[in-house]
Amino acid sequence: MRIKHWFYTMPLRLRSLFRRAQVEQELNEELHYHIERQIEGHISKGMTEEEARYAALRAMGGLEQRKEECRDMRRVRLIENLIQDLRYGLRTLRRSPGFTAVAMLTLALGIGANTAIFSMLEGVVLAPLPYREAERLVALLQTRPDNPRGSVSGPDFQDWQRDARSFEQMVGMKWLSSDLTNPGVPERIAGREISSGIFSMLGVNLSLGREFSSEEDRRGGNPVVIISNRLWQDRFGGSRDALGRSVTLDGIDRTIVGVLTSNFEFWGEADFYTPIRQNNLPFMDDRTVHSGIFCIARLKPGATIDQAKSEMTTIQNSLNRLYPSTNRGLGANVVPLKEIIVWDADETLLLLMGTVGLVLLIACANIASLLLARAEARSAEFAIRMALGANRMRLASQLITESMLISVGGGVLGLAIAKWAVIPSLVAVPLNLPRSTNIGVNMSVLLFTFGLTIVVGVLFGLAPLMKSSNPNLQGSLKEGGRGVSKGRHNVQRSLVIAQMAMTLVLLTGAMLLFRTVRHLWAVDPGFNSQRIITFKVGISPAMKKTASSWRTAYQQLTERIQQIPGVQAAAFTLLVPLSLGGNSAPFWVGPKETTSPIEAPSLQLNWTGPEYLKTMEIPLLRGRFLTLQDTLQSEKVIVIDSILAQTYFPDKDPLGQIITINIWGAARIVGVVGHVRLAGEENRTRNQAYTSVYQLQDDWVPVMYPGLNMVVRAKVDGAALLPAIRDVVYGTGEKQPVYDIHTLQEVLAESITWQRLHMFLLGAFALLALLLAAVGTYGVITYMTAERTHEIGVRMALGADRWNILRMVVGGGLRLALIGTAIGVVAALILGRILSSFSHLLYGVRPWDPLTLIAISLVLIGTTFLACYLPARRAAGIDPMIALRHE
Amino acid sequence: MSKPTDLVQGTLDLLILKILALEPLNGWAIGQRLKQVSDDVLQVSDGSLYPALHKLEQEGWITAEWKPSENNRRAKFYSLTRLGRKELEKEAANWNRLSAAISRVVKLKEA
Repeated sequence: MRIKHWFYTMPLRLRSLFRRAQVEQELNEELHYHIERQIEGHISKGMTEEEARYAALRAMGGLEQRKEECRDMRRVRLIENLIQDLRYGLRTLRRSPGFTAVAMLTLALGIGANTAIFSMLEGVVLAPLPYREAERLVALLQTRPDNPRGSVSGPDFQDWQRDARSFEQMVGMKWLSSDLTNPGVPERIAGREISSGIFSMLGVNLSLGREFSSEEDRRGGNPVVIISNRLWQDRFGGSRDALGRSVTLDGIDRTIVGVLTSNFEFWGEADFYTPIRQNNLPFMDDRTVHSGIFCIARLKPGATIDQAKSEMTTIQNSLNRLYPSTNRGLGANVVPLKEIIVWDADETLLLLMGTVGLVLLIACANIASLLLARAEARSAEFAIRMALGANRMRLASQLITESMLISVGGGVLGLAIAKWAVIPSLVAVPLNLPRSTNIGVNMSVLLFTFGLTIVVGVLFGLAPLMKSSNPNLQGSLKEGGRGVSKGRHNVQRSLVIAQMAMTLVLLTGAMLLFRTVRHLWAVDPGFNSQRIITFKVGISPAMKKTASSWRTAYQQLTERIQQIPGVQAAAFTLLVPLSLGGNSAPFWVGPKETTSPIEAPSLQLNWTGPEYLKTMEIPLLRGRFLTLQDTLQSEKVIVIDSILAQTYFPDKDPLGQIITINIWGAARIVGVVGHVRLAGEENRTRNQAYTSVYQLQDDWVPVMYPGLNMVVRAKVDGAALLPAIRDVVYGTGEKQPVYDIHTLQEVLAESITWQRLHMFLLGAFALLALLLAAVGTYGVITYMTAERTHEIGVRMALGADRWNILRMVVGGGLRLALIGTAIGVVAALILGRILSSFSHLLYGVRPWDPLTLIAISLVLIGTTFLACYLPARRAAGIDPMIALRHE
Repeated sequence: MSKPTDLVQGTLDLLILKILALEPLNGWAIGQRLKQVSDDVLQVSDGSLYPALHKLEQEGWITAEWKPSENNRRAKFYSLTRLGRKELEKEAANWNRLSAAISRVVKLKEA
């Protein structure tokens, strides 16, 4: 009924709107027809023509009023008013292009920044995972006191799989990278070892072929592989024949059984997938080794995460009771899969979102005070309009329409800035965000920007309303009351104070990060980072893979590189200082394991070649470093760093003492060296120890060696040595990739990317805020001073000199700045708490650092001074005679 | 806005609809017809007639067409739509109920 009704009436409304001239003309004609007929009637009854006309018009009771009533019946009044307001608003804005440009640009910057950051938040954190019923997908974590997101050991994983009942399906996944040597050029590629059935659990279709069968997902199963779409295109030209052909990974020919779709992404990039149970490395059966199996599962319909969590805790506790020597201290946790994929990115993005939110608020405050000033300048106009019968609603809607025009203009501009400037540059920097391919301007982002635009439009549109909604008609018509205007500008004053406070918060955040980055750069890394390059090598697939052949190959390679002219020293090492990797190992002082590994203290164990100390120029404090004479045939020896020595051997000589390393065994301490900075060590153990790669037991050699890095110290320039190094590496066999090539300076820079990036973004936004606040303060003070021209004239006539006036104006501005600063300092202290709670963002600086706060306050007050000085000087230069005549 | 004070609120719509149900007429003729059929009892002011007509048109109950009138000049003729006929039935029924009720009250004997 309703719809049908609209069907009839809609054309009428549209006609009223769009054929207004014709409708008006028809109305006119209709009424005139009526009048004419009445006149004819009256004349026929004997009236004169003039009498007849008057009688007819009188009966009508005012032709124009009747027309207006008929127009009211058209039901398009609201729209007509809106159109009128829009026209009027556009004309007003066009008349002051300077104001319009400043307001829109200010807003565009604010909205652009917000849109960009929101698009990242949406793409990375908010958007659901692109898998079937993704809300039922969870990650299972094995927790330790020092790591709430640990991976599970192989045997525990199998027990979980066997015992857990809350899940439809549970699969494991483990990161690895392998040398791809056939077909095509050798390359190191990232891959995953996965359980069979993972793709059907995710609800993902393969573009070609099939998943692994459970028959293949076992020790000794057929060597099969599923490859990424990228690899398929790269190495097989996207041909369907790829199925059944083979790729050589780490020297093993694997038959391709499946190809993934091009848009498949799951927790980072990977080019190949192999069955996880085909991994026959020794640690897969070792309960003490948590080397990267992450467990993913699908909850049964109706099962909750809490239920799953309590079940997993029960299972883990009984495993701990069963295997106390390896498991005591372990826990289990179940979290939504998205949470684990997003990892800590949500913190970063929320922090940035808060930052740009503040910037937008500052921009709004600016525009609000500009609009306020305009509203007051236009108070005569409003008074006239009200005197002519415009009601308050009409006036309000007029003002809101104007501010909406500004905000929509700013919004469109901001969206353009976000889409073509901010988002591309943010995606380009190495944020290492998960799901970053998902970032872009989509429907949710558009909605967000639209909503934001409307909200800010209303927000600063309301500001002038607070002033003009209750105008003193008489006063305004008399061209503004003269005299002291104290108390009249409270809204503007509060806006300045708020801007100052928000700017101070942002500047403090940026400053804390700036000082953190300076600390990180300046801190002594414990070695000489000049002229060092580091890279990894793949080992020829032709090489017979016994432990002793590995050792020989690595030793020969080291020697050949050392012989290259221009090389000062070279060695293999598991850990590269400052890089993010780690090899945390539980240890016990003395020859026995006295607790479970979970409860034991841990150290960063670095497997290196004997030349490592010399290559890195790490100071030797006591005893000796590892030598080529330390082999499997001789006693196990270990070199510890100064921190471990001080902590565990505070008042005895560590040399000659025994410590026991998990999995490896008891070793004698033969030397103490300086501490070397590893990235992220604020949050993990700082104990370090070195052991020789030639004392590593046979079954671990194939596990550890492919992960070793070669570090080379050049006599002059590291990069210049690369061609010669490549020649040497390729010279040893056929197909060996050389990859992950970096100078240590790059590694150092990389190690603080996180903090630098935050510093850069927060700094940029804070400077933007400072600029906006300065402009806003300048505008408000200028305006308020101009309003007081008359008053200033009186003061000067009564004997005030230039200095008094200068002090009065600047003092007024500084008072606002001081209040804003005081509020800002309190807020900044709270922000400092938040920043320091974020994972390793601050280093070497306290969140309530007084120096930072004082410096920032001074910057802010100085800026205010400048912003006030210009209008103050102008005011002081006023000629009292002119001022007194000033309207 | 001048209300048809001499008419019960809302009855003007009913009257117009009813008259137009008989034949399409222009605004002036509607006024004349009202006087005629009600023996000059119902005086609808010229002023209130047109806003009422425009309202009914915008509701979709009547529709307008420009045609030559009796004296061969162009006039706007209104006629009832299908929706309007339904509305007329509804309002007529309402009116019957209301007037019956009122006359029952009026006929009550004073004690």
